[in-house]
Amino acid sequence: MNPSSSTTAEGALPGHGAHDAHGDHHDHPNYLVDGTTIKSWLLTVDHKRIAIMYLVWILLFFLVGGIFAMAIRIEMLTPGPTIMDAMTYNRTFTLHGVIMIFLFMIPAIPAVFGNFVLPLMLGAKDVAFPKLNLASLYIYLAGAFLALWGMLNGGLDTGWTFYTPYSTHTTTSVAPVLFGAFIIGFSSIATGLNFIVTIHTMRAPGITWFKLPLFAWALYATSCIQVLATPVIGLLLAVVTGEQLFQFGLFDPARGGDPVLFQHLFWFYSHPAVYIMVLPSFGVMSEVVATFSRKNIFGYRAVAYSSLGIAFVGFFVWGHHMFVSGQSTFDAGVFGVLTMLVGIFTAIKVFNWVGTVYKGAVDFKTPFAYFCGFLFFTVFGGMTGIAVATTSLDVHWHDTYFVVAHFHFIMVGATVMAFLASIHYWFPKMFGKMYHEGWGLVAAAFIILGFNATFIPQFLVGNYGMPRRYFEYPERFQALNVASSAGASLLAFGFIIVAVYLTYALAYGRASGKNPWRSKGYEWVSDSPPPTHNFVGPQPTFPEEPHLYVDPKKAEVPDAV
Amino acid sequence: MSVANESHKEERNMQEHHSSGRYWLVWAALLVLTLVTVITGKMHLPGIALGLALVIATTKGLLVLLFFMHLIDHKGANRLVMAVSVLFVLMMLAMPMADLATRYRPANPTGSHLSDLPDLNFIEGTPSGAHGTGAAPGGHPPSKGH
Amino acid sequence: MQSSAHTAGATPGGVPRLAGHFASLEVQNHAARLGMWLFLSTEILLFAGLFVCYAVYRYAFPEAFAASSRHLDLTFGTINTIVLITSSLTAALAVHYAKEGKNKLVVWMFALTIAMAGAFLVIKGFEYSHKFHEGALPGPHYRMAAVQMAGAPLYFTIYFLATGLHAFHVIVGMTVLGWLMVRVIRNPNLGPNNYTGIELGSMYWHLVDLIWIFLFPLLYLI
Repeated sequence: MNPSSSTTAEGALPGHGAHDAHGDHHDHPNYLVDGTTIKSWLLTVDHKRIAIMYLVWILLFFLVGGIFAMAIRIEMLTPGPTIMDAMTYNRTFTLHGVIMIFLFMIPAIPAVFGNFVLPLMLGAKDVAFPKLNLASLYIYLAGAFLALWGMLNGGLDTGWTFYTPYSTHTTTSVAPVLFGAFIIGFSSIATGLNFIVTIHTMRAPGITWFKLPLFAWALYATSCIQVLATPVIGLLLAVVTGEQLFQFGLFDPARGGDPVLFQHLFWFYSHPAVYIMVLPSFGVMSEVVATFSRKNIFGYRAVAYSSLGIAFVGFFVWGHHMFVSGQSTFDAGVFGVLTMLVGIFTAIKVFNWVGTVYKGAVDFKTPFAYFCGFLFFTVFGGMTGIAVATTSLDVHWHDTYFVVAHFHFIMVGATVMAFLASIHYWFPKMFGKMYHEGWGLVAAAFIILGFNATFIPQFLVGNYGMPRRYFEYPERFQALNVASSAGASLLAFGFIIVAVYLTYALAYGRASGKNPWRSKGYEWVSDSPPPTHNFVGPQPTFPEEPHLYVDPKKAEVPDAV
Repeated sequence: MSVANESHKEERNMQEHHSSGRYWLVWAALLVLTLVTVITGKMHLPGIALGLALVIATTKGLLVLLFFMHLIDHKGANRLVMAVSVLFVLMMLAMPMADLATRYRPANPTGSHLSDLPDLNFIEGTPSGAHGTGAAPGGHPPSKGH
Repeated sequence: MQSSAHTAGATPGGVPRLAGHFASLEVQNHAARLGMWLFLSTEILLFAGLFVCYAVYRYAFPEAFAASSRHLDLTFGTINTIVLITSSLTAALAVHYAKEGKNKLVVWMFALTIAMAGAFLVIKGFEYSHKFHEGALPGPHYRMAAVQMAGAPLYFTIYFLATGLHAFHVIVGMTVLGWLMVRVIRNPNLGPNNYTGIELGSMYWHLVDLIWIFLFPLLYLI
């Protein structure tokens, strides 16, 4: 049965009749055309414009990181040197990591979609500190350019994890790259701080904590992590940069220092950082799955609490990156056990998403296709995470391609899928246009299949013992490496298709109307694209819960909602 | 536009206004505690010196947080922010120290009482000698086959 | 909105400008304060990394740390602590007077706070120059003959990093308070509805004091 014929009313925007977008909006132009000078964009405090500017740069950096990835895969086609020498290879994988993590994944969903959608979801006119928002964009760009300059000027060869003492003794350009990352950290903190205050203080009346959309919950948890964890890496980056320049030897065994202490401090941020990358994608998926299943989210509170749970427990598990580094077995044991807890919260989410789709009326659009890929990758990425969290197993897998495949399953498989789903889901909201659905599905197929083809061979080759970050490898690993590189080409091809049809849609896409997905999400109450101040007239009210597609009292199968 | 509940509550909390005497009292208490910590610190009491110093510092810190920074009036989220930060700092302290206390002995920093290996004592480019003094080095790197 | 007039006459002070995206002044103040607490928590986490290094290396090298600590000037350190605590008092009083609309007193309190911060830095400068003479410097530059133990250079590395970072925050705090002071001089319109800026600047200053409260016994009183 089709439960989409719900009798609940949409959130009301007083003062607007039933007729559509084009009519009475001359005095309330949408944010894209309200101000057409360069200055009006560069000095904007409108969260929507800031989000678009972030999007442009983030996509650019994704492209650069992707080019480094292709270089790696081409190099890995043969056991010996293929297109570069060893030092260049070290630089390539380092920069792939640095760019993808600091310049792309950490900001991606929060800075683009969080910025755009959060105030709309809360019925607010903007975030709490709009000027800080603009500053965070420029700080991000300043750090990114410094890091990129360092990369072009000698590059960094330590791996993105820049472990000491190598990172304090290597002659490559550690200082600009690490200092660039340090500057980007401030942008991350500013964004997190802004979102936390926005969610606490700028909700429309009636939006209590348990009426927050799930994407807002996810952003809240992410922002808590950003605010609490980033300062630690900030300090560490500054100290290591100083050590490189002045050699004071805090983490250098030659001076009585302890390299494992460096790793403790490093992973104290970097593990919660992976939750910064993945929690927003979980939030997006909650939105997408409810909309395209035309069904209420199954277990709203469980999903909300699990976001907080992941953020909280995520701070206590960092030592699982150090099982073979020399940390004590006592610590290894504690961290191993605590890491298992994190899996519980992710499992709760997976269960709830599946429960939402169950007995829903699925509308298989492109965002939902990405959800399917996302689900598969999260489950297998997550399960392999639990596997490597088992200390005894990690002794074999640590620093092999097994771990590389695990984290790519989560980072590309979960986060990039969610990023693509977000672009497609909120494309009409942001630009008022629709993209070509057929091409959307084709590209999604390429990306999902290409992804599997790239990284499943890496699980296998890692399990066979191929180490990561190695320039040369034994002959017997070549077949799997070639398979992985072939898959990477498919993946790249998929991304190119997306870029083409989305660009085309920006220019020539048909008008989308206010709510093409007929979503109950709060952000769809405003126009698409929204006017500069998000709503015209008084603040909208949101009389019902978010994600409410079926009135539970009137559902055909009451327990199914 | 209307306002969420939290801001109303916050505003009511901030209506409190005491006399300035409170601040002078807290200041006096802080000075007394500073004196106590200096005196007991100089005594170098075996075993409890560090614990005592931390207890005094925490008390002073709480006085500053609660009264100078008005955390005793700012309820709700503001307190939670501080509490969670402190919790994470404690975790960040506990695990590395536990690590050092329980590690396989040869992996500990050399020259420390946790290691049997002597201080590595090599500093490139400076005159030979312990820590740059020019005197003869105190220890030798461990011989092979240890 | 009620104003908490404690004097019999008219309520002192003006009303600050309300930014367009906030629902009301209440919300704006709430947001500002929560934002400041969050920022202070980032500062705490920032210093925490150094405290962890300290804890680990003190645990590993207890005698070297104790011996090195005896070479710090406890008198200077104690004076600095008293100076900073008193500057915290004046900063808190500044907020108190701002709430009561006593603009001139606010300026005086801030001036005193900044002066004491300057005194702190001067004393710190003396301490640092003494260390340079003695050769108690980080890492490869260490050449203090009096303490020749494994771990001593590490102690001084941490000493300089921690107090250096702290001094940087003192300078930032002085700048912030100075800027606030100038604003009050130019526009003396503080009152019970208009003191949030003063409060936030003061909160930052208290954090600087709070960090020193922990640094002092840990560095000087081992």
